[in-house]
Amino acid sequence: MWKITLKGMLSHKLRLALTGLAVVLGVTFVSGTLVLTDTLHSTFSSLFNRVFENIDLQVRGVAAFSNQSGAMAVREPFSESLLAKIKSVPGVEVAEGSVGGYAQYVAKDGKAVATGGAPTIGMTYGQDQRLSSLTLVAGTGPKSSDQVVIDHGTAKKFGFNVGERVKILLPGAPQYFTISGIVRFGTADNLAGATIAAFNLPTAQRLFDKVGQLDTVDILTSPGVNKTEVLRAVQHVLPRGLEVVTGQTVADENTSLMNQLLGFLSTALQVFAFIALFVGAFTIFNTFSIIVGQRTRELALLRIIGASRRQVFQSVLLEAFLLGLVASLIGLGLGVLTAMGLDSLLRSFGISLPQGALVFSMRTVLAALGVGIGVTVISAISPARHALRIPPIMALSGVSGTTSRSPRRLLVGAVVTLGGGLILVLGLVKGTISLVGLGAFAIFIGVGMLAPLVARPMASVLGRPLAMLLGVAGTLGRENSMRSPRRTAQTASALMIGLALVSTFSVFGASIAQSATGSIKDAIAADYIVSGSMTGAPMSGISSAAPAAARIPGVSTVTRVDSGVFEFQQSVVSLTAISRQSLSRTIVLRIEAGNALSTLSGGGMLISSTTANAKHLKVGDAIHVRFAKTGPTTVRVGAIFKPNALLGSYVVGDGFFQSHFASSTQPVVLLLQTSSGATAAMTRSIKSGLSEFTNLKIQTRDEFIQTQQAQVNQLLGLIYALLALAILIALIGIINTLLLSVFERTREIGLLRAVGMRRRQVRTMIRAEAVILSLFGGVIGIVLGTGLGIALSSSLRQQGITDIVVPYSSLVVFLVLAALLGLGAASWPARRAARLNILDAISVE
Amino acid sequence: MSATTPIVSSARDASVASVAHAIDLVKTYGSGITEVRALNGITVDFEKEKFVAVMGPSGSGKSTLMHCMAGLDVVTSGHTFIGDLEIGALGESELTQLRRDRIGFIFQSFNLVPTLTALENIVLPISLAGGKVDQEWLSFLVDQLGITDRLSHHPSEMSGGQQQRTACARAMIRRPELIFADEPTGNLDSNSSGEMLKFLRRSVDEFHQSIVMVTHDARAAAHADRVVFLADGQLVGEMLSPSADAVLEQMKLLGH
Repeated sequence: MWKITLKGMLSHKLRLALTGLAVVLGVTFVSGTLVLTDTLHSTFSSLFNRVFENIDLQVRGVAAFSNQSGAMAVREPFSESLLAKIKSVPGVEVAEGSVGGYAQYVAKDGKAVATGGAPTIGMTYGQDQRLSSLTLVAGTGPKSSDQVVIDHGTAKKFGFNVGERVKILLPGAPQYFTISGIVRFGTADNLAGATIAAFNLPTAQRLFDKVGQLDTVDILTSPGVNKTEVLRAVQHVLPRGLEVVTGQTVADENTSLMNQLLGFLSTALQVFAFIALFVGAFTIFNTFSIIVGQRTRELALLRIIGASRRQVFQSVLLEAFLLGLVASLIGLGLGVLTAMGLDSLLRSFGISLPQGALVFSMRTVLAALGVGIGVTVISAISPARHALRIPPIMALSGVSGTTSRSPRRLLVGAVVTLGGGLILVLGLVKGTISLVGLGAFAIFIGVGMLAPLVARPMASVLGRPLAMLLGVAGTLGRENSMRSPRRTAQTASALMIGLALVSTFSVFGASIAQSATGSIKDAIAADYIVSGSMTGAPMSGISSAAPAAARIPGVSTVTRVDSGVFEFQQSVVSLTAISRQSLSRTIVLRIEAGNALSTLSGGGMLISSTTANAKHLKVGDAIHVRFAKTGPTTVRVGAIFKPNALLGSYVVGDGFFQSHFASSTQPVVLLLQTSSGATAAMTRSIKSGLSEFTNLKIQTRDEFIQTQQAQVNQLLGLIYALLALAILIALIGIINTLLLSVFERTREIGLLRAVGMRRRQVRTMIRAEAVILSLFGGVIGIVLGTGLGIALSSSLRQQGITDIVVPYSSLVVFLVLAALLGLGAASWPARRAARLNILDAISVE
Repeated sequence: MSATTPIVSSARDASVASVAHAIDLVKTYGSGITEVRALNGITVDFEKEKFVAVMGPSGSGKSTLMHCMAGLDVVTSGHTFIGDLEIGALGESELTQLRRDRIGFIFQSFNLVPTLTALENIVLPISLAGGKVDQEWLSFLVDQLGITDRLSHHPSEMSGGQQQRTACARAMIRRPELIFADEPTGNLDSNSSGEMLKFLRRSVDEFHQSIVMVTHDARAAAHADRVVFLADGQLVGEMLSPSADAVLEQMKLLGH
């Protein structure tokens, strides 16, 4: 049986190659993603280990909020006076205090150095080389308050040399420094694309507004002493609110934070890999079904000459296994190559990742082989079971059984669809994304099973215009697409899933964009919005930009919006602070209860109506909150406002904010109201007034809205690109089915040619069939996807998706695109059919 | 009457118009020691408005001859003509047009497109060419063939005889100059077979159709005006106004 299987496989290389291609692509994606994330993991962990390798112990503030820990935790600085105490602990060889903060270089062309998301680190240059992770490659350390040490990577990239002056953006006003030295991290040029500006301690303390304070104290223990004992001794001298940990702990914390972020990326990529494989499974299932159908006589003959049912079953599964194995191995190889490609794909969408040596782990191999072989074999089980039921007599009668409509299959399909719908709704209501995914998954399978029911009538309707337009070739194409509803449905199902997902995201994206536009219009009244280069993140320099903006002629109001975090009801939530002066001219604040102005000036808190309802809060309630700097306190709810896209859930006045947060905290945006409105002249004068702050984005309200939409569209673009793989696999499925159909209808095509069908007409016939197939998959997919998109968007009304938009023009474009892709997929099978030797075709017995 | 004349050349009476003829046809497959000569220098002439049967044992080249003359296969050397048109000089698209417009085909089996109804199958050559159906001729044909009540049926819903008669109507719908029939009764029972042959005979006699039929059935050949015998790729004899017994006799001589 082994031999028969192998020989059978080798005699159908093309068919195998195409079926295998679906698996190859899916496995490529899976293994590529794994290699990429493994590589990033190892890059980051070795990086953090190197940064902290010289530090034995570190003293720092304890996490300010009870449920935070590790590298993400908010920690408060402490008094410098503690350093002497730590130094006096026996076993402490060296102890050095340091502070850090934001420092961004300005390149020679006047633009802020962009890091593509990597941090712009301002830090302390340590006195003792034994503690430092930095190695000087040129110049000296920063001796005076106007000197800075720059990392080799940034210096190289932007052409900075020792002795040159460089402008640096800081929490306060930007300043010029002289480059005293250039450093490396051990042997690396820089930290994963982050830029480094290292100052001496007093300078750093002044720049980062931490005079007399320290963020951390790094300790080197004396040679030969037990580090754990030193750790205990240090802990002993520390006051409440401070802790001492090992350097390794700090490195591990940073690594695990990075892994968390990478885990998210990895999961997102895996989801798309899974989608691709899921679509691939449909293709494999369909191919094997057709193959078993075509081999009915051969398999029946095997039965006649004595093969058991079990052997026939195994022969089909063995074929699937071998196919899966070979395809997975190829996919694995390609995946490694793709890991680099995926990296550059993400980069082209603005997500920058550090470079490192490729990591190829055993887990990747196992996952790739397991998934590839698993999908192939599972997809082949049902066709193999079908082969099992072939009676030996079939070899003699030669009637390849056309599978009749099985009521059980339809019932199962209906149950799966309904079940999927229920799970989906449950997931949407509960907000559990995995349930939503599972529900959608089940719906796709269920609809795939039900699709044969509508395949005939739908192909008939969709094909009618083609038949009318293309004459007899179109009619035949239409008839061909109708003759095996099950095959048509199965082939179209793969495309259906791809288009359903594309449509879901299209509806979802359009709704988000529309809601964002609407909510920004409802939130901001200002003419201009000044923000950091990353919207939403506090970007420094704005602090000092605020007074500069106020001095620009024509600017009538400047509202500073600050943001910070605090702890409320055991979770860390974000707080927005605004000043009450001329509030109504820049921000749209709709009050439902209470008085906004008196609350803002009186130290009370404003709460959005959504949050107030969810947490059962009303005006006059006193709530218990906790701030990192000042600890627990009680705040009175002064007013309830309608949800506002800019402000979030909790709003306080600027006075309250300053008393609970460090004065170096940077605002998130500045809102400018002008006397003339947003005009080109006004824009020019604001830009020149703020020219010093090169890292700031200055936008009119309309531009700001467009930016928000552009961000949604950029994300959609990324999602479409990732879904393109699934659609590609679906197209391979169509090519495969058409090739198999052409093979199956060799005699028929030969006959048509003999009675006078032109080659062009043969091609038209096959193309018409492909277009009908694609339109069938497209229509069902788009309808299904639109439904899913609407369901998804409506369930997120509370999260701010207030408008549901169905982008009809996009959906029509998708449908047309599907038809065109089908046309493209048909070109090879059509050429093959047209080139069939008539004689071979009619003399096949 | 049933005398056989060995044929050396086909120098026939010039007064009889020819619907198709071949000169020195050679068709080889493969090359070197594996070379097979399917046709080994055949010169043959098919008369207009006659029913000619081509006979010979398996492997004699009778089907190859038909394929070559119908432009389905390419000859190695020699010349083939439909009327005055040499088909060796035609390109793929002209050959298709020739088949569609001037030749009709009836095969042994698988004559009909399964997705089309009988009527659609019959008018297929016209649909492909984009022409207009001669409704009178169509209804006459289907009436004569006794398939009028089967026109809306798909091939799977018809008997073998009905299918072959449908194929016959399809072959005749454009009143082609020549019909090639390749074992048209090979898959039929004797009843259907007899009816089929009678109709072919009638179509020659009454509608002035020209037919070339490849067969190995002596009884089928007996319906023809003339039988030509092939063996080993060569023309080895012919018989005018054949009877089944005489044909059978001749076939035995050829080692059938």
